[in-house]
Amino acid sequence: MHIFRSNPKPVACFVTVVLFVFCVMWNPAYASLVTTNEIIEMSQQDYAREKVNLFLDRADVSRQLEAYGVSSEMAKLRVASLTDAEVARISGQIDQLPAGGDIFSTLLIVSVVIFFVLLITDILGLTDIFPFVKKY
Amino acid sequence: MRSPYSARGATGALFFLGVVLCITGCGMFNPNLNYRALPVAQRQAAVQAVPFFAQERYQCGPAGLAMLLNWSGVEADAADLVPLVFTPDKKGSLQPALVAAARQHGRLAYAFNGVDPLLKELAAGYPVIVLQNLGLKWIPKWHYAVVLGYDLENGHVTLHSGTTANKTTDWRVFIRTWKRGQYWGLLALPPGELPASASQESYLKSVLGLEQVSNWDGAARAYEAALVKWENSLGALMGLGNSRFAAGDKDGAETAFRSAAQSFPENTAVLNNLAYVLAKQGKFEDALDIIRRAGDIGGPLAPVVRQTHDEILVMMKSNPEAAGP
Repeated sequence: MHIFRSNPKPVACFVTVVLFVFCVMWNPAYASLVTTNEIIEMSQQDYAREKVNLFLDRADVSRQLEAYGVSSEMAKLRVASLTDAEVARISGQIDQLPAGGDIFSTLLIVSVVIFFVLLITDILGLTDIFPFVKKY
Repeated sequence: MRSPYSARGATGALFFLGVVLCITGCGMFNPNLNYRALPVAQRQAAVQAVPFFAQERYQCGPAGLAMLLNWSGVEADAADLVPLVFTPDKKGSLQPALVAAARQHGRLAYAFNGVDPLLKELAAGYPVIVLQNLGLKWIPKWHYAVVLGYDLENGHVTLHSGTTANKTTDWRVFIRTWKRGQYWGLLALPPGELPASASQESYLKSVLGLEQVSNWDGAARAYEAALVKWENSLGALMGLGNSRFAAGDKDGAETAFRSAAQSFPENTAVLNNLAYVLAKQGKFEDALDIIRRAGDIGGPLAPVVRQTHDEILVMMKSNPEAAGP
């Protein structure tokens, strides 16, 4: 008991790690119902193997969202609302995903060249930036 | 011998062509939809009564989703959706965030890629949120708009887009800007409504999203709808049983697993779940009978079946009077 009291931090860390491993590794074994996810998405063997990766993927995506300014609570809620397959698909890709945002014609790159390029492509009907360009 | 001027002219022309191709990518050679192949009735569609929310700066994602949600009967304000949908440092909204937020509001989120599904969904009366790149590949301007309808004879689509409601956009322009978004579209439907373009597999995967947010009633309704279209779907029957069980409806779960067992008598996942639900109802004799059958079949689920078998024995011991004679 003396050791535990004098070194609370390492003990806490150890307990956390053990609990984490137990949660991740023991979950599939305790599930007595075969989940719909296992039926629809993948075979049971794959699923057990993937379980650890998926757990890490979720933490990873959540962390990436927080890095882009999403609150921690909302990041976790978003990730928790995605299926395993969806999380696996976007894990590590957040910086490359397109983010739909604006329609207003104030481009960040303020450049006459870009303006004319887009003007021409607008006239050609390839783009749809400027409302004053009549399309067809 | 050629004059140096014409050679220079040819080089210049080639250079100019190269520049134009670089700028436009292959957009110039986009195939146009052959709408004449479609029956006349399917050449136009218009979804009525989709409420419009004008977007704030960078907020086309929340605005577009608010339109779909309100259309589907969920009262949601675009401003309230911002924390759930918007990613500040990206100055925009990511596609998975729209999917997640639709589920958080009790809706089935069904995403697809393609022109053909878009036409089918609109013809079925479902508005679709799409991701466009209104700019070019190297000057991207990502934007969400809600497609309300199309008229292929006259070559245009109708959108709620940005600050404009019922905006008419040329079909070819729309297709080019949408192509840069990989023709991505998203539906937000009340559970129980089937997307018109969905395959069994893609639909069931979207229902998994309802399970993911523990919307068990919604998931059960969605699986029931699947079974109307795809009778004897293993995924739908299992999903229905699992969702009903999670919602506390053990009898309903038993019914679903029993019809699954009728169609798939050798499937150990089905037998395992049926046995487990029977045991949870105190029907230990039946449960043991079925789990032993699953044990005899073996296969990759054998460890799970063994586990369930042991658990049934434990349940029996702790509840001996229910075990019967």
